[in-house]
Amino acid sequence: MALTVLICDDSMLARNQLKKSLPVDFDADIVTAGNGLEALAILRTQDIGLVFLDLTMPELDGVGVLEAVKAEAMDCLVIVVSADIQPEMQKRVMELGALAFVRKPASAEKLAEVMHKYGLI
Amino acid sequence: MTPLQFTEEQRDCLQELVNVAMGLASDKLARYLDTLVHLQVPAIELVDTLQLPQHVNQRYGEQSTTLVSLGFFGDQGLRGEAIMLYQLENVGVIAQLLGYSDDDSSEAEMLTDISSVLTTTSLNGLAEQLENSFSYAAPRILSSRDQHFSRKLTETASQWQLALMVDIRYQLTDYSFNCDMMMLIPGEAVLRLRQMLDKILAGF
Amino acid sequence: MQLSGVFEPLLAQLNSGVVVLDSQYRVVFFNQFIARRANVILTAVQGQSLFDVFDDLPKAWLQRKLDSVRELQVPSFSNWEQRQYIFKLPHLRPLSTGSDYMAQNCSIMPLTAPGGNASYLCILIEDATDAFFYQQQLQSSMLQLELANRTDGLTGIYNRRYWQQQLQQELLRATRYQHPLSLLLFDLDKFKQLNDTYGHQGGDAVLTAVAQSISALLRDTDIFGRYGGEEFGVILPETTLSGALMVANRICSTIAEKTINYNQQDIALTLSIGVSSFEQQSADEMIQQADIALYNAKRQGRNCVRTYVAEGYLQKVK
Repeated sequence: MALTVLICDDSMLARNQLKKSLPVDFDADIVTAGNGLEALAILRTQDIGLVFLDLTMPELDGVGVLEAVKAEAMDCLVIVVSADIQPEMQKRVMELGALAFVRKPASAEKLAEVMHKYGLI
Repeated sequence: MTPLQFTEEQRDCLQELVNVAMGLASDKLARYLDTLVHLQVPAIELVDTLQLPQHVNQRYGEQSTTLVSLGFFGDQGLRGEAIMLYQLENVGVIAQLLGYSDDDSSEAEMLTDISSVLTTTSLNGLAEQLENSFSYAAPRILSSRDQHFSRKLTETASQWQLALMVDIRYQLTDYSFNCDMMMLIPGEAVLRLRQMLDKILAGF
Repeated sequence: MQLSGVFEPLLAQLNSGVVVLDSQYRVVFFNQFIARRANVILTAVQGQSLFDVFDDLPKAWLQRKLDSVRELQVPSFSNWEQRQYIFKLPHLRPLSTGSDYMAQNCSIMPLTAPGGNASYLCILIEDATDAFFYQQQLQSSMLQLELANRTDGLTGIYNRRYWQQQLQQELLRATRYQHPLSLLLFDLDKFKQLNDTYGHQGGDAVLTAVAQSISALLRDTDIFGRYGGEEFGVILPETTLSGALMVANRICSTIAEKTINYNQQDIALTLSIGVSSFEQQSADEMIQQADIALYNAKRQGRNCVRTYVAEGYLQKVK
C-alpha cells in the first residue's frame, strides 16, 4: 500500500518545488494543503503517513499544526520545511515532535538524505 | 492584464522567494547579533505605486516616520530602490538592539547603518534566489521627523511601477516591533523580474 | 586580451582611496591615493593591523562596521555629512577650504576571491571635500542672509519688521505662561535740529552711537529694534511695568549724561521714552499705547519717561 503524503505550504511554488524534489522512486499518493487548518482537516479524516510542513502560513501556522498533532496523538511523521531557519525555531519544532528540519528551498539531495535516514525510502 | 501586473503564480513565486530570502537574512542577523532577535518571515504585498501614498498614510497615519532609501542594481537590468520605514519611537530600540548605545554615532548615522544592514542582508538573499547579485548605492535619509513623506512618495511614485511592501517584524523574547521595507521597482525592471519568475516557474 | 597588468596602474591612478584588509583587519593593500596622503609605504606596514597603521581611526565605530561587513557579507557606508572623515588625510585644497582634513564618503565591501575561501574587506574612500566646502559656503551664506534680513543696515540692531515679529512671539509666550511683558518706545529729542546742525552723516553717527550705548544696558533676552527714523523700540520679556520703568529711566539718564563725539565736536542729546505693559491687549495696541505715552513724554518737556497705564490713558483710548 502506497504511503499518503501531505504537503502543507501556503505557497504553490513551494508545494510544487517539494513535489518535484521528492525521490523519483518514492511511491506515494500526494495531497496538499494551503494552510494549517486545511492540513488538520485532512489529517483528521485521512490516513496520512508523512507530512512536509511549512511554518509560516496564514490561518494556522506550522507550530500550531505540530501542537495539534501532538495533542491529538496523530500517527504521522512530520518533516518541517521552512525558510525560518534560526536555531531557536529549529529547537522548538523538534521539541514538538518533528522528525527533521529541512531548510527551504529543499533540495532533492537533502530530502533524499533525510528520508533515507528515517527509512522512508 | 497590463505587462506590469503579476499573475497569481508570479506573485506566489515572488512571495516564496522573499520568504526564503528573509529567512536567510534573519538567520544571518541572529548569528551576527548573537541575541534572540527573531525576524519573522514577513508578509508581502504588491502595491500599485499610484496608491502607495494612500497605502502608507493608512498604515502610519499621523505618526512621525523616517524613510531611508538604498538603491540596488543587479545583472540583466534588475534594479530598484529599497525604502525602510520606521516609526521614530522604534529607532532607539532598534539602535540599542544592534549595539549602538556605546559610541558617538548620530541618530542619522545609526539609521542609515541599520537600514543598510537590514536591506542588503535581505536583498542579497533575494538576489541569490534569482541567481543574481546586487550592488548597492549608499543609503540616504529621505525624510525624518517631518510629515512630508507622503508628499515625497507622491512625487517619486510616478517613477516606479511596482512597489513590493514587505512587512518585517522583529521580535525579542519580551519585546517586538515592526518596520517596513518597501521595494520600489521601475517598469522595465518589473518586466525583467517577471521573466525571471517565469523561468523559475517553468522549472516546476 | 589580458587585462590583469593594467589593474595595478589603474589602482595607482584612481582618484579614490582603496584599502584592502584581510579578515583579521590586517593591511593587505592600499593604493597610491592613500600611500601619498597618509605618507606611509605599503611594504613597510603590510600585515600590520589597520588600527596600528592608522592610529587615529574611530576604532569602536569602524570595528563594528567592519564586523558587520565580514559577518553578514554586505556592504556598509559612511558619508561626510554624518561623519566628516574616517581617515585623517590632508586634502588638495588647503587654501580655499576651512577644514584641515579631507571630507570622505566611504564604502566598506566584502571581497571574496573567486574559488577561494579567503575573504577580504575593501574600504573605498572618496574625496568629498568639494561638497563639504560648498555646503559650508551655502550655510554661511544662508546665515548671512538671515542676519541681513533681520538687521537694520545703519545701526546693526533689529529692523522694524523683525522686531514686530518678535513682539508677536513674545506676546504669545507671555499669554501662554502668564508672564509679564513690557515695551519701550523712544525717540531722540530734537533730532531734526541735530540733523540740520551736523548734517545727515552726523545724525547717522548719533543714531549708531545711541543704539550701541543702549544695547550695552540691555539683557540678552531683551529685543532692541529700530522702529523708524529716530524712533527705537525695546521688548522686555519677563518684565513688569515697574521693572520696565527702571530700565527706561536708566536709558534716559545714561543718554542724557553722555556726549557723542562727531568730527571733533561733542554732541549732547536726550531722549523721551513711552512705556506700556502687557494686559492681554494686541501687539498693535501695545505699540499704540507706548506711542501715546511717548507723545506725552515729549509734550511734558522731553528727556523723561512716561507710562501709558500710570498716566491713566486707558480710559481715553477706549
